[in-house]
Amino acid sequence: MLTVTQLTKVYNKQAAVHDISFDLAGGEVVGLLGPNGAGKSTTMKCIVGLIRKTAGEITIGGHDHLSVEAKRLFSYIPETPYVYDLLTIWEHMQFIAQAYGVKDWKPKALELLELYELDDKQKKLGRDLSKGMRQKVSICCALLPDPQLLFFDEPMIGLDPKAIKNTKNLFKNLKEQGKTILVSTHLIEGIESIADRILIMKDGQIIGNDTIANLRLQAETGSGLSLEDLFLELTKDE
Amino acid sequence: MNEFRLLLKKDFLIFVNNLLLIFRNPLRLIPYGIAVGYFVFMYSKGIAGSEQVTSQVNMDAAGEVDVTQQNIIGGLTLVALIFFIFQLYRATKNNITFFKMADVNLLFPAPVKPENILIYYMARSILPALGGSLFFLVYSGGQLANEFSVDFVGAMFLLLGFTLYFFLIFPLRFLIYTLHTRFGILEQLRVGVLVLGVLLSSLILIPGFMAPVFWEGMFAWITSPWFNLFPVVGWSRGMMSYFLEGNWILSSTYLLLYGITYYAVVKLVIQYSGHYYEDVLEATQNNEDRLEKAKGTKEVTEDAYSLNAKKQLALPEFGLGAKALYWRNYVQSSRQDLHPLIGLYTSGMAVLGIVLAGLGHFDWFSHQVLYFYLLFLIFFYFMAGIGRANIGDLKKPWFILIPASWSSKLWNMIKLDLLQTLIFGLLLIVPSVLIGDYNFWLILLFPLGLIFAYVIGLGVNLIPQVGLDEGWDRILIKPLMIGGIVVFGIVPTLFFSGLLFGVTGKFVFGLGAAVLGLGFLAAILTHVTLDILKRLEFKEL
Repeated sequence: MLTVTQLTKVYNKQAAVHDISFDLAGGEVVGLLGPNGAGKSTTMKCIVGLIRKTAGEITIGGHDHLSVEAKRLFSYIPETPYVYDLLTIWEHMQFIAQAYGVKDWKPKALELLELYELDDKQKKLGRDLSKGMRQKVSICCALLPDPQLLFFDEPMIGLDPKAIKNTKNLFKNLKEQGKTILVSTHLIEGIESIADRILIMKDGQIIGNDTIANLRLQAETGSGLSLEDLFLELTKDE
Repeated sequence: MNEFRLLLKKDFLIFVNNLLLIFRNPLRLIPYGIAVGYFVFMYSKGIAGSEQVTSQVNMDAAGEVDVTQQNIIGGLTLVALIFFIFQLYRATKNNITFFKMADVNLLFPAPVKPENILIYYMARSILPALGGSLFFLVYSGGQLANEFSVDFVGAMFLLLGFTLYFFLIFPLRFLIYTLHTRFGILEQLRVGVLVLGVLLSSLILIPGFMAPVFWEGMFAWITSPWFNLFPVVGWSRGMMSYFLEGNWILSSTYLLLYGITYYAVVKLVIQYSGHYYEDVLEATQNNEDRLEKAKGTKEVTEDAYSLNAKKQLALPEFGLGAKALYWRNYVQSSRQDLHPLIGLYTSGMAVLGIVLAGLGHFDWFSHQVLYFYLLFLIFFYFMAGIGRANIGDLKKPWFILIPASWSSKLWNMIKLDLLQTLIFGLLLIVPSVLIGDYNFWLILLFPLGLIFAYVIGLGVNLIPQVGLDEGWDRILIKPLMIGGIVVFGIVPTLFFSGLLFGVTGKFVFGLGAAVLGLGFLAAILTHVTLDILKRLEFKEL
């Protein structure tokens, strides 16, 4: 579904992402972990086309990631949930439905708003929403086109405990539906239970890429490390 | 997928929601009502008096060079040129954006064509320029209604002249940045803009030096008709010349030039911008931050315009308690400018004053130019004082937490500003007085005026901010409070100052009265500020 080959992104002569390659098969849920400044967000922004790649190749569903065909296949939930100040929640849904060409979108939109307890706030303007609510709108907007591939950039930040639980459940549901998901996060325990594979980044490079079972095995057979301990071990400074 | 239809629909919904917001809170209409009332009044007054004015035109002066008119047109052209060149130069530093962060998050990843989005937003950016120009036209029309008669075609050319001038700057800036990201020719573009700036400066300096009196000749070239051919600035002036000359063919030709240029710019931008999302990301984020700061939902940072941000410092401590605030400001200022006490920008302003004094000494400029400059600087420091209340220590929790008296905290918070102001004032006024043979009392009065204006500005903003709670209190009482300070403090001061200047004809007396009045006002406001400061509370942003 997603293939990243030798991706490099250089800012001011410094490589934020350096020659990384990985792929995501259809229906796979992959967690992208790493300390601050590891290059997770840059990688994700390169993939969704918000920033240019300096080198490398990215394809989504066999199409170049910048093509309109590729964009029909994925949704992106950004780290900071900006919404239009003067559009209501419902109008955001309407806007996304048009942008992605979603037919008969209203029942789906209602269902999503209900799930995220936004159904009674449909007429609220974007500017009147708290950060957590904007995050929920952002997630609803991403799910409305029913994409095959979802990119979540730190999706839990700003959400209340109930919304976090809902999002975890949502990941499970999406996984059951065969969706492919790449989640960048700091919250290891949030991803541990649902991710099939973990990519660990540090200093712009991938230093760990394995199934969660193998990592767990490695953790248990090693010195009894948990996934969190293993993550800290892998990303610690020399 | 029709991107234009999608975006039009989105903007229509935003427009409708904006209207609904206004109707939900009709008090927002009050300023508009006052503006409409004002325009109606000025127009009706203007129409009544328009007939008498036409007969007062001095026909004897026809054929002579009207220096006053030349200087007015030249001055306006110069301002437009400076703004234009500055905008082009800024394009070599950072990009502009037509987008919001919501577009970045929701629209950019969507299956839409980037070039169509860009075309739509670029065309839409004419709306603010058009709105601003329309407001300006209606405003100046109200002012000038009894001086000139403006017909519909004249009004349209005026409107288009202003609108297209402001409008075209943004696509041009976008193009410059695009060419830079595409071909990496930043240095060449920057040098090009600088060379253009030097050439245009020569167009003012050379005729000025050639004329018997500098200020009578300096605008001779840029006010001549051939300068109308200069892109953007000249075209707008040429288009608006319908107002004076009534030649619609000429004005339409300039309009056509604008049309062709816009078409070419859009074509070039689309051809070279490619996948431009990254180019606008930073500017969009910055705009969003600025908007949030203006709304008060985000703290105003102090790192803007930092010249020396990465400077390594090893300053000793200045003392305990509130002195830490002074130390912090000192460190901050060391990173913000080349020297914590004497900055680059302020040195530039001081040099400008000294140059004006020198030119006045050689009769190239009237002495009054320096006087105006000094008054402008006093106003500038008043505004700086207003701005100081919004940033820095007051918004940080440790201003409240530091175990020291409030007066000591306030003093240490503004101590560096006052020192900088004093040094700047002396740097400017001492050489100016010596070079230009001005009154020696200015050496005392001008720095004091700057300091008092700064303290008043600080108090004017700080008192309502701390003393009044959020909500209607603040919205309704703040203007009343500021109005009171202006009406009962600043206006009488300016009145007596102007009166003294009018009677004696000496600037130093006028400034003396102003400084005395401002000093009283500053003392009262400082007292109130100290009294109210203990009510300061930290607002979680």
